[in-house]
Amino acid sequence: MIRITGLSFQYGGGEKNALSDIDLEINNGDFLGIIGSSGAGKSTLTYAMNGLAPHHFRGDFRGEVTVNGLDTRQNQPEELARHVGSVFQDIDSQMLASVVEDEILFGLENFGIPHDEIERRMNDALESTGISELRSRTVASLSGGQKQKAAIAAIVALRPSIMVLDEPTGELDPQSSRMVFEILKKLNEEHGVTIVLVEQKIMLLCEFARRLAVMDGGKLILCGPVKDVLDSADRLEDAGVNIPRVATLARRLRERELYHGDIPLDIGRAKIMVEGILSDAAL
Amino acid sequence: MNGFLSYVNGSSPLHKLHPLTKMVMSFALCASCFLSGNHVLILCVIGLNLCLFASAGGIARAVSTLLSFVKFSAVLFVLQLFFIKDGTPIFTLPLGITLTYEGVMFSLLFVLRFLASTMPLALMLSVTPVGDISNVLVRNLRVPYRYAFVITTAARFIPLFSEEMSGIMEAQTARGVEFDTRNFIKKIRLLIPLCVPLLISSVRRIENSAISAELRGFNLRTRLSGYKRYSFGANDATILIACAALVAVSASGIWP
Amino acid sequence: MLRFDRVSFSYRTETATISDVSFEIGEGEFVALLGENGAGKSTLLRLCNGLLRPTSGRVSVRGYDTATTKTSAIARFTGFLFQNPDRQICQNTVYGEIMFGLEYILPDESERRRRTDETLALFSLDGLGDPFGLSRGERQQIALAAILARKPVLLLLDEPTTGLDYRECMTVMEIVSNLNAEGTTVFMISHDMEVVADFARRVLVLSGGRLIGDGPVRRIMKDPGVLREASLLPAQIPALAMTLGDSFANIFTIDEMADTVGQRALARQTSVGKTS
Repeated sequence: MIRITGLSFQYGGGEKNALSDIDLEINNGDFLGIIGSSGAGKSTLTYAMNGLAPHHFRGDFRGEVTVNGLDTRQNQPEELARHVGSVFQDIDSQMLASVVEDEILFGLENFGIPHDEIERRMNDALESTGISELRSRTVASLSGGQKQKAAIAAIVALRPSIMVLDEPTGELDPQSSRMVFEILKKLNEEHGVTIVLVEQKIMLLCEFARRLAVMDGGKLILCGPVKDVLDSADRLEDAGVNIPRVATLARRLRERELYHGDIPLDIGRAKIMVEGILSDAAL
Repeated sequence: MNGFLSYVNGSSPLHKLHPLTKMVMSFALCASCFLSGNHVLILCVIGLNLCLFASAGGIARAVSTLLSFVKFSAVLFVLQLFFIKDGTPIFTLPLGITLTYEGVMFSLLFVLRFLASTMPLALMLSVTPVGDISNVLVRNLRVPYRYAFVITTAARFIPLFSEEMSGIMEAQTARGVEFDTRNFIKKIRLLIPLCVPLLISSVRRIENSAISAELRGFNLRTRLSGYKRYSFGANDATILIACAALVAVSASGIWP
Repeated sequence: MLRFDRVSFSYRTETATISDVSFEIGEGEFVALLGENGAGKSTLLRLCNGLLRPTSGRVSVRGYDTATTKTSAIARFTGFLFQNPDRQICQNTVYGEIMFGLEYILPDESERRRRTDETLALFSLDGLGDPFGLSRGERQQIALAAILARKPVLLLLDEPTTGLDYRECMTVMEIVSNLNAEGTTVFMISHDMEVVADFARRVLVLSGGRLIGDGPVRRIMKDPGVLREASLLPAQIPALAMTLGDSFANIFTIDEMADTVGQRALARQTSVGKTS
């Protein structure tokens, strides 16, 4: 689990806090989505979780971040990486090898995984991300979505208990984005991996995440179960975050006093909402 | 230039050689054309390179790369020609420019060497994943991992940069910068401001790569971390003997 | 404005990327180009201004055949915004960036300066700002400003909102939308179906290099056959309307949906009231 208490961070040479006074607890098995406008501090928050801040990005670090009990200031990023795996938006530059298999081997070799265990880990990672058939393909010949899956597989092979992903679908089309979310859901549900996901695609977040954290100007302004956060749509709007259209619809229907239930998070639940209103009216 | 200097997946005999053999072969092919001053021998080496590309299934790419280099070589050839004035005149142009037999032969040798020496590296990179190269550099040649990583990363980034550059040129053409001009000097002048976006995106990419490597235990790697084992086989022995023979023939001056 | 006449295109070594595509876009239209990755969208957009030339067939922009006109000449009246603004921005100041783009269409420097000041004011940009220190969304706005300063009559946009947050996305799209209202023709690739539903009036759908749909956005986004063939997911409200059945067939926006649900609920209440 990740525990962040009273965290403020200012990049060296920066003029204002990139993060101010953040308190956040992420329990084992959680699926947390982080959303906010650009410059809100989302990426910096992920750097605080994987130790890049303050080890790689130096600056003024106040407060405390612990990952599975390890204080991030006392442990180097590569030590923390045994617990937290990181995936980034820029697909091409996070790939380090020319063949998928080598990409996955890189971390396994570095962390000294016993060689008789490597083959099994490799297969498991390829299987759980659904890319077994891409094992000997060159990275350059893959589509964007396949590359991102390979990047996730390379992290999964290291078996971290937490994965932190910074806009992993930023460069992907809707179908590939959904596939990435499906993989994360599977890792979360079947393997118990805690997922922390920075994402702009609010509709996918609402469908897949369990909790949402909203950031604005370096502060964490809202955090809680997805439907509770969507209830505060006005504060979301102030933070430059839109809500899914079906959620806006539900709010309109509430204003007209036609609907009093939970905000629907996807089309299936929106359908139930509309049909419910029409059948209630008939009673 | 599509895919130039990048690995192409395959299972040809060449792909299956020990990475070290492939590196030695690449070096030997390169060395032979500098050791020998014989035009025919160097042409043979170019032919040999093409045969090797063909055996690895990359002949189409090799030929298109070669053709693009031939254009560049033609310019080099003509430039060289004018600088060499000694020797037996064969032709006199206006303005007192004289072409000599020695000048032609030397210029020809120069461009043949240029062509012959660029191909082996491209060949080696197209049949060897960069991971294999860095593994043998570290394990067999005891190069510190840091340096091996820099070398292999550079090889991996070249295609990315060339893709980025063509994207940048496309964006500039679309807003009216006349890259479609025939004037070579003008084209070069237009290219200069584009170094800024290329530099910025390169720095950003390298920074991201460094972070990704760091978080996947780059600093923990030791000489013995490599998982893959490569074995020397009969093919490796044959190639190494052939390479030794090639270098010996080139250096001996049997064909002056 | 833009006309494709039985256009096919293939890269040197591969099979046809675009095959036998014909359509015409008139002046002042706002058209979105949809399709999954690899359907040929980017290739098709690059055929519009001569960055690529058709292998067979004919593309003409404002009457100019792209096969025989220099790309830089077509660029005088077209604007092309790429997904990645960093491939365009090459000057150290926002002012310089906009001036650079004008060099080829306004030979007179004082006129260039006037146009640049005008553009900076319109977009409320700081001319002395360093574009490389700004966020992705701000850089995208600068790239767009530099293109719009040239007053193109046809604006080609390749995923202009990818990587932007919601607020930045809306800013960019509203600028484009206002320009369209003033007469600029817009042809845009977008993956964001909500953006397409909000701003485009007509959509073209590509699948495997072929044009499989062409029509008003309200019709195409509810055509299950076309959507399935191109593996597209419609925007949420049209998708909800489709799952609710035929009686919701005409609904496309949140307002329409809310009004319809309200009216029908009321109608049911009163009819139930009468019978009981």
